[in-house]
Amino acid sequence: MNHIDASEHYDESAFTGQTPSLLTIIIDTNPRAWAALNDTLPISKAIANILVFVNAHLAFGNDNQVAVLAAHTNRAVWLYPKSPNPDSVAGPDSQDVEMTGVDGRPSHPELGTSANKYPQFAQIETSILTSLRSLIDNTTTFDLKPTTLISGALTIALSYIHKTSLAFEPSKTSKDPANPTTAPSATLAAPTLHARILVLSVSDSEPAQYIPTMNAVFAASHARIHLDTISLHGMPTFLQQAAFITGGTFLSAASNPRGLLSFLMFGFLADAEARRSLITPTQDSVDFRAACFCHRNVVDTGFVCSICLSIFCEVPENAECLTCGTKLALGSYGAKPAVIPRKKKKKKRINGINGREETGSATGTPVPA
Amino acid sequence: MADSDGEYHAGDASDDEFSGAPGSQLETRSRSRADGPKKSGRKGGRAAWEDIQRSWDAVVEGADGTLAGTIEGLAEAEKRARLLKDTTPLQRGIIRHLVLVLDMSFAMTEKDLLPSRHELSMAYASEFVREYFEQNPISQLAVIGMRDGVAVRISDMSGNPTEHLEKIQEWVKQEPQGSPSLQNALEIHTPTHGTREVVIVYGALMSSDPGDIHDTIQSLIKDRIRVSIVGLAAQVAICEELCSKTNGGDNSSYSIALHEQHFRDLLLAVTTPPVTRTQEQSNASLLMMGFPSRTLAAGDSINYCACHNRPTREGYGCTRCGSRVCRLPAECPGCGLTLILSTHLARSYHHLFPLRNWVEVPWSEARRSKACCSCLAPFPDVPGGAKGKGKGKGKGKEKPDRLPLKGLSESGRYACEVCRSHFCIDCDLFAHEVLHNCPGCQSDTRGAQQNGDINGAMEIDP
Ligand SMILES: [Zn+2]
Ligand SMILES: [Zn+2]
Ligand SMILES: [Zn+2]
Ligand SMILES: [Zn+2]
Repeated sequence: MNHIDASEHYDESAFTGQTPSLLTIIIDTNPRAWAALNDTLPISKAIANILVFVNAHLAFGNDNQVAVLAAHTNRAVWLYPKSPNPDSVAGPDSQDVEMTGVDGRPSHPELGTSANKYPQFAQIETSILTSLRSLIDNTTTFDLKPTTLISGALTIALSYIHKTSLAFEPSKTSKDPANPTTAPSATLAAPTLHARILVLSVSDSEPAQYIPTMNAVFAASHARIHLDTISLHGMPTFLQQAAFITGGTFLSAASNPRGLLSFLMFGFLADAEARRSLITPTQDSVDFRAACFCHRNVVDTGFVCSICLSIFCEVPENAECLTCGTKLALGSYGAKPAVIPRKKKKKKRINGINGREETGSATGTPVPA
Repeated sequence: MADSDGEYHAGDASDDEFSGAPGSQLETRSRSRADGPKKSGRKGGRAAWEDIQRSWDAVVEGADGTLAGTIEGLAEAEKRARLLKDTTPLQRGIIRHLVLVLDMSFAMTEKDLLPSRHELSMAYASEFVREYFEQNPISQLAVIGMRDGVAVRISDMSGNPTEHLEKIQEWVKQEPQGSPSLQNALEIHTPTHGTREVVIVYGALMSSDPGDIHDTIQSLIKDRIRVSIVGLAAQVAICEELCSKTNGGDNSSYSIALHEQHFRDLLLAVTTPPVTRTQEQSNASLLMMGFPSRTLAAGDSINYCACHNRPTREGYGCTRCGSRVCRLPAECPGCGLTLILSTHLARSYHHLFPLRNWVEVPWSEARRSKACCSCLAPFPDVPGGAKGKGKGKGKGKEKPDRLPLKGLSESGRYACEVCRSHFCIDCDLFAHEVLHNCPGCQSDTRGAQQNGDINGAMEIDP
């Protein structure tokens, strides 16, 4: 690009041709949701579509990488690459389960290893299928919760991406004690690895995972990792916010799950660099509701502790913050808050429980300019 | 001006001041970061210009005669030391009102910091704004410049980082000129709610004030406004007095930047929410807030926002009365409800549930894992007689009295005490500094109860 001026020196891609791109796919494997989808898009079909998408991504560049995780009801599991640790995927007794012919779930006869297949594709495919198979085989009815551990899968995916990008870092800054690589924004210079996360979501967001999910989202945004989501079923509120915060793409294919492959290919194949030249699908509305800390309700209006910013759906008992324990002054939560001189501290204590009545809000709400 | 005597103080001061004055805002971060080159290189007091990174001083040959292990060990120990800070949850006055005062006087044309003091301070100011709002999501900030003997408003008190960044950008190309005036810059009134702080980047060694600055200091003390100063040259008596008097006699908020990285660390350390002092907790209140969703006007139509009466397509509807505002945070012009992006609040939740420090794993327990639980990087094998790749190991016991190596795990594994998963050093750092989640706890809830926060997080007792 900048062949004339010296800035070419700083453009790593001028030498390597293309910045490698790491695509991390998180597959929501909630059995209930997939059962509901079974008529339109059985999971076997969906996996086949994802494999095509993965291969397309790999074919895009020699250095492109892929990682696949499953977000199951009660755990998040590596599908590719496989975790060498014992007891990561399955129970202690399960060796690599042969993927041939275990019945009960639709099998994938045509997707097995074939001599005519590019070895990398075949290897990824086998790994994903075997891991998924053993994950499903090890799911008991006890595990059939309506939730999915998206927060866990995101957390692992981000750690993996972080580690991978360390390996791609040009200079070994970690050798310099004065400038550790993990210092925030120290690694924000020219990216040597484009990383993005795609979540194939089939369930609702679980309010209990609000905080860890948000922590992961901000970590992603910090590292400039796009968090894309394709939703086939349910309403993943937090993933919608995640896409908004990280500049990712959120698409809902709930109206036509059969078109999964088209959605993937046209909506999500472009990496961060390519997207700058494309018009990506935008969200016309983003649901910014949050989960309250007290009852795990998803709320659009709530009470916020000014010390710790915990959200409550109702005034907590004794007006004491449930998170930090601070005694909180209550305001009048009607229309325009009236500012009354503070003197009624005693009264609030007596009527502690129905503390919604007017007490002096000497502090008032902060006024964002 | 920058005589070596002053510089001597400078280096010395910043070393001592970080050694743990309680309640200092600069404490945790800057201490851990700034310690680095000094601990190893410094032998007694020296002038600052002498105290450059003498990384070669720190190098000691390993037992096997190579340096690789030592260098690696230093870096790792350094990383770990930063993590071993206390993770006790603190109540932080997160609604802060902070004024950032930037020196834009002739003193900033100096090029002792590269590319120049001015350019560097502007760049770090932008970084400061970003970091400040990341750490203090619903706080307010104002930026003031000192030049030509007066205080110029760069941006007014607001909670919108983009606004500040734009305004700061406008001043980057302006040549710094004139003399600075501390007094003019400090005569600023901030609202009474929340913490009030002033952070000054001060390159000059003088201040041209219209009146007696001690009067200003008195009124600052009366208003309980705290001042921190990052000096770029030598120590200045009035700055020291200013910091110490407004911080209850504690002068740790005054420090001198030794080099570019140190400057950045000192400045960004201020963005960490300060420990809330007891008397200020009386300000704690329960605020009602709306978390409006973002909507686009239907079709090709355009709406007018209720806040500025300007036409916009995107907007946020008040969750109580439905008025549309064009940007957040805002106070609903219709009903007065504070409207914010819920994600701004969520940004700070890792302060509430800090991730517990992970523990080193001895060889005896290392057998349980072959690779890092989250990134799958293979761990060194458990030595079964043969010592394998010797340099990566055993350094913990070889030189226990140099540097804080106690944080290092002999097996290269670090374990979360809640989920007992093993992680590598990189994941340890990443999880504690950026992610604030434990990958192990988050990715397996089979053992844990679903209630509460399964995150290896500290429980907070009221
Ligand atoms: Zn609280
Ligand atoms: Zn309203
Ligand atoms: Zn790791
Ligand atoms: Zn854990």
